[in-house]
Amino acid sequence: MDCPTCEAMVEPYLDGELPAGESVRFEAALEACPDCRGKLDRLRGLRSLIRELPAERAPDLMRARLERELRAAIPAAAPLVESAPSPTPGSAATPSPRLWSRRSAMAASLLVALGAGWVGGRYTGQDGSRETDELLAGYLRVGLGDRPVDVASSDQHTVKPWFAGRIDYAPPVYDLTSAGFPLLGGRLDVLEGRRIAVLVYRRNQHRLALSLWPATASGDTAPVVSEQDGFAIARWRHAGFELRAIGDIAPKDMSVFAASIDKAMEAGK
Amino acid sequence: MSEAPKPDGQAVERFRIVMLPHLDAAYGFARWLTRDPIEAQDVAQEAMLRALRYFHAFRGEEARPWLLRIVRNTWTDMRTRRSLEKVPLDEADDVVEPGPDPEQSALAGDRRREIARALAALPEEVREVLVLREIEELSYKQIAAVLDQPIGTVMSRLSRAREKLAVALGGRLGKE
Ligand SMILES: [Zn+2]
Repeated sequence: MDCPTCEAMVEPYLDGELPAGESVRFEAALEACPDCRGKLDRLRGLRSLIRELPAERAPDLMRARLERELRAAIPAAAPLVESAPSPTPGSAATPSPRLWSRRSAMAASLLVALGAGWVGGRYTGQDGSRETDELLAGYLRVGLGDRPVDVASSDQHTVKPWFAGRIDYAPPVYDLTSAGFPLLGGRLDVLEGRRIAVLVYRRNQHRLALSLWPATASGDTAPVVSEQDGFAIARWRHAGFELRAIGDIAPKDMSVFAASIDKAMEAGK
Repeated sequence: MSEAPKPDGQAVERFRIVMLPHLDAAYGFARWLTRDPIEAQDVAQEAMLRALRYFHAFRGEEARPWLLRIVRNTWTDMRTRRSLEKVPLDEADDVVEPGPDPEQSALAGDRRREIARALAALPEEVREVLVLREIEELSYKQIAAVLDQPIGTVMSRLSRAREKLAVALGGRLGKE
């Protein structure tokens, strides 16, 4: 083989696309062609660099959302919804063995996440804090649950009084439809042992959960947005409230959301 | 494609067995196409639902290339719909970052980030071919099916992709 032929075979050879006979002929030709040997080495080096990249794994939230869609596609054959332990905030319900056997591993891991509060290491907060874990677990209930809110209303005058008598403070509630975040309603959650108010908003097809409770420290802080596993989390303090927002939206959208909340709180003072 | 009958329980079960194992691949490919983890979720999820809708047209060919083709079509459609095609191809500021990997040294992490950034910065036409070959490990024939292009085109794009990436990673390649 002269070199132009041999060079044209380097990549198909590397890619395992040469028929066996041609592979043998190519290897023989390679002996006599340092240029092509060098090219093959470089391509192998490039391949090993690319293959150092860790394999992508579909995020659990997306997997769970898909699972919900698959169940919805066949309403008659969906025993999961009715028989699933209800994801009560803070509870540590374990799915019964009877249910385990009926489920795919995926659905089972989802229910463990919902029922037991995401104890696996995957969603340990960047800072490793329990607060982040609890926020994420709470968010999974909002993001995936068939009943994301306890009180469903886009009317702040319906949602705000609903919290009265259920928690020991009155959270400020604002609909942010004009800013692109319609209010879906509210729910209760438990964060570090305390019952707190969670307001649920929508951004296109995505849901956001805003947890808020009276601040013990004084002074406002600017929202700090971090990103983790496809979730954006914002933390800040404003007008006497600690605020935490979480959602599977882009960090820049989360910043817009936090700014809109601040603006509404200022206007509502 | 022909009109889609609503999948029945049996079809959904078969879909679970045949297609769901390739969800990671669908998401991974979407992530390299979109270069954005949130957008990739939207594309992969939409693609899975389309795959379910058209599952009756699946004739037992290889599942992964079949699904990846739908992922790619979904991305093309979504981008057209949102007219994101005006985003310049070399805009690689918030490109794919490899996931956190505490077991690896920071040095290896830096290196991977650099590789990921260089790959993400390739023009889409050659990036997708390289991802399908080196990450998804598809054959030329399978890649041709995903992209709906002749094998010769696949080979020449792959060759160009490798040249471009080698230039971008020049330093990394020399001193191994
Ligand atoms: Zn040669």
